Amino acid sequence: MTKEFCQANHLFVGTSGYSYGEWIDSGFYPSGTHSSNMLDFYTQTFHATELNYTWYQMPKAPAIERMCTKVPKNFKFAAKLTRTMTHEIKKGQWAKEVMLYRQGIEPLIQHQKLLCILIQLPPYFKRSITFRNYLAALLDELAGLPVAVEFRHDSWANDKVFSELERRKVTLVSVDEPDLPDLFPRLDVITNPDLFYIRFHGRNSKGWRSGNMQKQFDYDYAHWELAKWAATIKTAMMQNTAGGGIFFNNHVRGQAPKNALHLIDLLLKDHHHQKT
Amino acid sequence: MSRSIIHLNIADFAVAVENNIQPSLKGYPLVIAPLGKPRAVVYDMSDEAYKEGIRKGMALARAKRINKKIKILPPSFNRYEQVMKDLLKETFAFTPLIESGISDGHIFLDVTGSGRLFGPSVDVAFKLKKAFKKTFNFDPIWAVATNKLVAKVATRVVKPVGEYIVAPGDEKAFLAPLPLNLLPGIIKKDLTKLFEFNLFFISQARALTLEQLKILFNYRAPLLYDWIRGIDPTPVTTIYNYKNHSIGKNLSIIRSDHEFSDDTNNADLLKRALYLMVETICKTLRNRRLTGGATKIILYYSDGLQSASKLKLVPSTSNDMAMFKKCIPLLNKAWTRRVRIRHMRLICEKLCQGAIQADLFSAGTKETKQTELILAMDKIHEKFGKNSIRAGLTLTLHKDRHQ
Repeated sequence: MTKEFCQANHLFVGTSGYSYGEWIDSGFYPSGTHSSNMLDFYTQTFHATELNYTWYQMPKAPAIERMCTKVPKNFKFAAKLTRTMTHEIKKGQWAKEVMLYRQGIEPLIQHQKLLCILIQLPPYFKRSITFRNYLAALLDELAGLPVAVEFRHDSWANDKVFSELERRKVTLVSVDEPDLPDLFPRLDVITNPDLFYIRFHGRNSKGWRSGNMQKQFDYDYAHWELAKWAATIKTAMMQNTAGGGIFFNNHVRGQAPKNALHLIDLLLKDHHHQKT
Repeated sequence: MSRSIIHLNIADFAVAVENNIQPSLKGYPLVIAPLGKPRAVVYDMSDEAYKEGIRKGMALARAKRINKKIKILPPSFNRYEQVMKDLLKETFAFTPLIESGISDGHIFLDVTGSGRLFGPSVDVAFKLKKAFKKTFNFDPIWAVATNKLVAKVATRVVKPVGEYIVAPGDEKAFLAPLPLNLLPGIIKKDLTKLFEFNLFFISQARALTLEQLKILFNYRAPLLYDWIRGIDPTPVTTIYNYKNHSIGKNLSIIRSDHEFSDDTNNADLLKRALYLMVETICKTLRNRRLTGGATKIILYYSDGLQSASKLKLVPSTSNDMAMFKKCIPLLNKAWTRRVRIRHMRLICEKLCQGAIQADLFSAGTKETKQTELILAMDKIHEKFGKNSIRAGLTLTLHKDRHQ
């Protein structure tokens, strides 16, 4: 039922990555699951995931090709843009990197498995002339591909930015993260009628700037927090777009899949409620 | 669950260390080789020198013919070891399971069990790379895989810079298109045999069954069979004492070194140096109430090459004389070249607990008498100093430096 509901509404709910050993302890994966079988188990519950490793390493077409053949027909991947184009930009080289990236993810396009490319920008990527020009040039290079942009600095929370993204049909990623100074606020602005995109990072203010992912993303969403989002998704987001991607990044101790399933339940309940 | 192994490789480690000391050398062909030695060979070379055709182990004279203006620096083994120790200190923060060479720039980490503390293995590898860059100005190649073999091949694939993540279950497919010589552990002799059968790539070698491989490689066949399929169950072998970050003070091995003041091929001098090292090691063993189960001798020649030999000690011992007796043939076995020796290293491994209780009915054998003598000497050393009483064999070694 869950899957049918998501498919019918073009909703792609999942987690940021799927290969976490601690998800065995949390019970999401059966005891003794080999890492190579995790994707199989994952696809039994969700039908989308974010590819985290493409941030660390330029995607390689043969590996992506093999991945595409392992997942069901309707499964989608959101592929993170590699760090050499977001965090470690080298003048004069990044355009070549975009070309390599395009080649690397080609199998995702061929197999119709690409939900979008996720450009996750670092906190120091402020709205300066240099960075504005760079982002514009980067989006030009990625033209023709579905793209979602996640800002980590609040200087980008600006109507001019939103209208430019709208003009380009680029999705603004709605982020759920702690209420800390300089962080991009929680917004439900739609800039692309084809796709909305939400990333749940958790609201762990204490661990956010610890430099340790296990602390940064250690958060268990409360029922009311997800219920509020479910209402927003139903009213402000699903009605104004053709589909959406919702991903939980609070992977620590299996909280991400648990919260993702809870959110689907809430959306499903609302859906039944409206029907009756 | 599968393992998460990280391999960090600082390409051309000796050159990288020298470049950090003299940044002006960066970007130029550079060779590390002993100077002033008639038959010296290349110990390490920069990527620029490699591109010109210079290789490790090549005669220095030949390297000079390839590039007459090439910059040559003498190897500083102690410096490389120290840098390696500093690098290891950085890695200890993430896992106690670390394996590395003494001064080769290669580090394996098993982070399977530390994921809950530090996050995904890929992130740990990336953090280490950044830390190496920030603290030491090294730019290591890194790879993450489910075993050491695949991780090492992955760093070889992207050498001299880059990274490679081999997803669990993807090992076989990753290796398939690669040439056989990228597999660590495959020696030149193995490759020659495989090439004779027109097998150049890993995928081609997989066509052979285990029985067919046995015809070619005999007892090595099962190993090769696994390697070409990306199977390597060997654990990350912890070598170092993490508390001290010191090779000499390590818990699983004890090491002693001897540097000769002049390079030598005098057998007597070598034997005396060996006895001194045996004495040092056995004293440490006795202090820790341990016995050594194996010894290894490494000889460093004046031309930069090394040779080594290893021996199992049965029974394990902490007796100077018994160990020395076993080490003499080991030295002869390791000493395979006529080139003079600059440095000698003795490593004692497979340490185990010594007998706690003396044998109730022990007869006065030669060994027990020797043990009593050694214990008596230990007491004299403790009371009157190390040089108060010495074995006659070591007396003429005062000219040499003992570490």
